[in-house]
Amino acid sequence: MDWLEIIKISLTGSLKNVLQMALIIFPMMIILEIARDMKLLDRIAKWMAPAMRFFRLPKEGAFPILIGLTFGLAYGAGVIIDSVKEGHLSWRDLFLINIFLVLCHSVVEDTALFIAIGADGSIILGCRVLLALVVTFFLSRWGGLAKLEPLLAGKLIVPHCSHCEKS
Amino acid sequence: MDTLKRGFHKGLSTTWMLSKVVVPIYMVVTVLSFTPLLGKIADFCAPFMKYVGLPGEASLALVIGNVLNMYAAIGVITSLHLEPREITIIAMMLLFSHTLPVECAVAGKSGINPWIIGLGRITVAIFAGIILNITL
Repeated sequence: MDWLEIIKISLTGSLKNVLQMALIIFPMMIILEIARDMKLLDRIAKWMAPAMRFFRLPKEGAFPILIGLTFGLAYGAGVIIDSVKEGHLSWRDLFLINIFLVLCHSVVEDTALFIAIGADGSIILGCRVLLALVVTFFLSRWGGLAKLEPLLAGKLIVPHCSHCEKS
Repeated sequence: MDTLKRGFHKGLSTTWMLSKVVVPIYMVVTVLSFTPLLGKIADFCAPFMKYVGLPGEASLALVIGNVLNMYAAIGVITSLHLEPREITIIAMMLLFSHTLPVECAVAGKSGINPWIIGLGRITVAIFAGIILNITL
């Protein structure tokens, strides 16, 4: 295999990847905006609020978690960044949502994939959900979390939208 | 109409933001997969596979799953003819820790240090493997 062939494969592969992401992200964002206009998002958020209180998260934390659980980590992250830009989530919220989603995301597809080759579905799904719940719960009750921000934070944090003051 | 425009704009900016992270990493990782590097890492890990109750050859599936993606790892797993118990263990390990370069970079974009997330996931996967090997 020569270099030209390898570069060609990696280029077409990454383009396919981008296309696949776009095919999910565009409809997802448009549906989210329509749901926001119909006040549907508020209703879902209110309905999810008790679950969010379990992690001491604001009700807006529900959307990235729902999207991440069903579609996958990258899509959840897309919604997280969107929520941060709108000023709903603090660094602590971001961190907890990220930890939860890193341990447990795209549960339908991932689980089905491994059941198909012979894994025990209840074990692989159960352990993931349980660990994500337990770890996120204890981190959410831990006071030292805020002190870890300089150590754990990535580069991108947008506390306020740069071009519009209102949320 | 305004709603559609806003959704489209958000879709575009999110796709662009994720592409900037995913594409370069995906390309580097794909090029790496054509070098002997992944095989070398797998050879290095093979002797430790017994602690998670897996045969040495299974290390290649774990390395490929962690560096590339789960579909490639599943390709390797199906060629290994593992028992159901072993498949459950390797599935659990891969579910906790997979596609690390891309997923860690994405986590980094949304506000956490990617290295800590990566190391944390590998640690969780190893412990999950050891615990399932004892309990199953």
